[in-house]
Amino acid sequence: MFSVSLKSRNSPLQKLDGRTKLIFLAVIFILVLLFTDLLYITALLALVLAAWFIAKLPTQPLKEMLQFFVWIAVIILVVQVFFYPGTTNLVHISKPVPAIGFSGYLTLEGILFGLAMVLRLVVIMIVAPLMVMTTPLPELMLALVKLKIPYKFAFIMTTALSLLPSIQNRSAIIQQAQLCRGISYDSGGKFITKLKASVSLLIPLILGAFRDSQTLEVAMNSRAFGAPIKRTFLLESRFTPVDILVIAGTFTLLTVGVMLRIRGFGVY
Amino acid sequence: MTDQEQPKTELESSTPLEQPGSTVTQVRTYKAKGRIAGMSIAVLAIWAALYIVASAIPALPVPGMAGMITLNAIMTAISGMILGPAAAIANAAGGIVSMILFPYGFSAGPLGFLTVTMGGLVAGLFMANKWVPAAIAEILIIGSWFVNPQSWQTGMWMVPLPYSAIALLVIVIKPVRDWVRNAIITQNKKTMWLAVFVMCMIGHAAEFLTTNTMVNWMFNLTWQYWVPTLPYWIMVDTVVILASTIVGVGVLVGLKKARLPLFPTTLEK
Repeated sequence: MFSVSLKSRNSPLQKLDGRTKLIFLAVIFILVLLFTDLLYITALLALVLAAWFIAKLPTQPLKEMLQFFVWIAVIILVVQVFFYPGTTNLVHISKPVPAIGFSGYLTLEGILFGLAMVLRLVVIMIVAPLMVMTTPLPELMLALVKLKIPYKFAFIMTTALSLLPSIQNRSAIIQQAQLCRGISYDSGGKFITKLKASVSLLIPLILGAFRDSQTLEVAMNSRAFGAPIKRTFLLESRFTPVDILVIAGTFTLLTVGVMLRIRGFGVY
Repeated sequence: MTDQEQPKTELESSTPLEQPGSTVTQVRTYKAKGRIAGMSIAVLAIWAALYIVASAIPALPVPGMAGMITLNAIMTAISGMILGPAAAIANAAGGIVSMILFPYGFSAGPLGFLTVTMGGLVAGLFMANKWVPAAIAEILIIGSWFVNPQSWQTGMWMVPLPYSAIALLVIVIKPVRDWVRNAIITQNKKTMWLAVFVMCMIGHAAEFLTTNTMVNWMFNLTWQYWVPTLPYWIMVDTVVILASTIVGVGVLVGLKKARLPLFPTTLEK
C-alpha cells in the first residue's frame, strides 16, 4: 500500500496554517455529504482540484487513487444506474424484474445519481491527501492541538508518529527472521500462507512493542507527564491575513451550501 | 519514618516488576495521571503506532472494498481485550494518523477513524465488565443502521444479524458474558480460544457495522448490493475474526508470560 507525504514545499497552500486547512477539509466533507445533485458535487470536485493545482501537487497520486478505488466506484455506479427509481427512461435493457427491483430501463436519474455518488467518493478520497501533501506532519499535529483536541490524545498521536520508524524497522526485522524460518510474505502465496505470515508477524511485533512501552513510560514519568503546567510548543502557528480570508471564504461557502440545502436545492 | 510506617500509596507507575521487599503496593487506578481509563498513555501510544504500521501491511485481498483488508482489522478486533475501554482512544489516534498517511484504506473518508474507535470501545467496555455502556454503544451502532431509510428495504435487516446481533446477546446475557471474561482473564487453556473468538467478534462486529452504516449513508447503497453480497461479507468477517483469534490468544499468553502490561481487569472492583 502506498502512502502520501509532503509534496508541496513552496505553494500558497503550503503556507497556510494547519488549522485553516483542517477547517477547509471539514467544510468540504460536510458539503459533499449534503448534496446529491451531480452539478453541486462536480462544483465541489472542481474546487478541490483547483486547490490541488494551486498547491502545485503532482497528478500521479490522483491516478493512483482512482485505480485504487475503481472497484468501489464501479459497484456504486452499477447499483445506482440499475436500481435507482428514476422516471426518465433512456435505454431498454430487459423485461422488468420486480424480484430484484429492476424496472427494465436505464434511467437518466439513475445515471446522474450514480455519477454523483462516484464523484462524492472521489471528493472524499482526495480532499484528505490534499491537506497531507501540503502540510508537514508536525504542523498538522500542532493544528489539532490548537483546535483544542485534548493534549493526552494529541500526545498519543505525536508519539505514535515518532515511534513509527522504529516499529517499521522492527516489523522488517521480524519479517526477515520469519523468512529465515520459511514463512513467506510473498503476495503470490496461498491464503493460508498469508494468514500464517500475518500471525507470525503481529504477535512478536506487539509483544516487542509492549516491552518498549515500559521504557517510554519510565521516561514520561521522570519528566512529570501530566503535571498541571501550561504547555509550550517548539513550533508556533499564527493566523495570517490570508488564513483569515480563506477561513471566511470557507465559512461563507458552508453557509451558502446549508442555505441552498435547506431550500431544497442540490438534491434529487 | 521507617519502611514499615510508610503508608500504602497508589502509584501511577504501571511497571509490573515489583521490587523485592517493597511495602509499597502498586495499584493501577482508573484516573491516575499518565493513564486513560486505566491504561498507560505510553502503551496507548505504542498501540497507536502499531496500528499505523499494521495499516500499511495488506493481509487479505478483498474484492469489492478498498483493495485489501490490512492487519489493522485484526488489531481493532483484539484491542478491546488488551487495552480495555482505552482501546477506543488508541484506535482513534492510530486511525486518524493512518488516515492521514494511508487515506486509501478508509472508504468512509475523514470519518473512517470512527469505525475502529467503536470497535475498540465496545469490546473494551465489555472486557472492563461495563456491560451497560457496552450494550448501549452496540444498540446505538445497530440502531444507526436502521435509522437510514435504505435499511427498511427488503432483507436489509439481515446485514447486522450475523455478528452484531450475536455480539449484543453476548453482552447482555450475564452467564455468557461472565464465562467469556473469566475464560480470558484466567487464560483457561480449554475455553480461552472460544472466548477470544467471541471477544474478537464483538470488536469486529462493532467496527464493520459502523463502517457499513457510514458507507450506506454516504453512497446510498441499496438492498440490491447488500443482500446478495451478504454471504460473501460473512465469510470475510469470519476470516478476520479467526485470524484475530489466533493473534489475540498469542498476544494474551505472550503478555502474561513476559509480565507485560495488560488491561487491569481489577478495575471493576
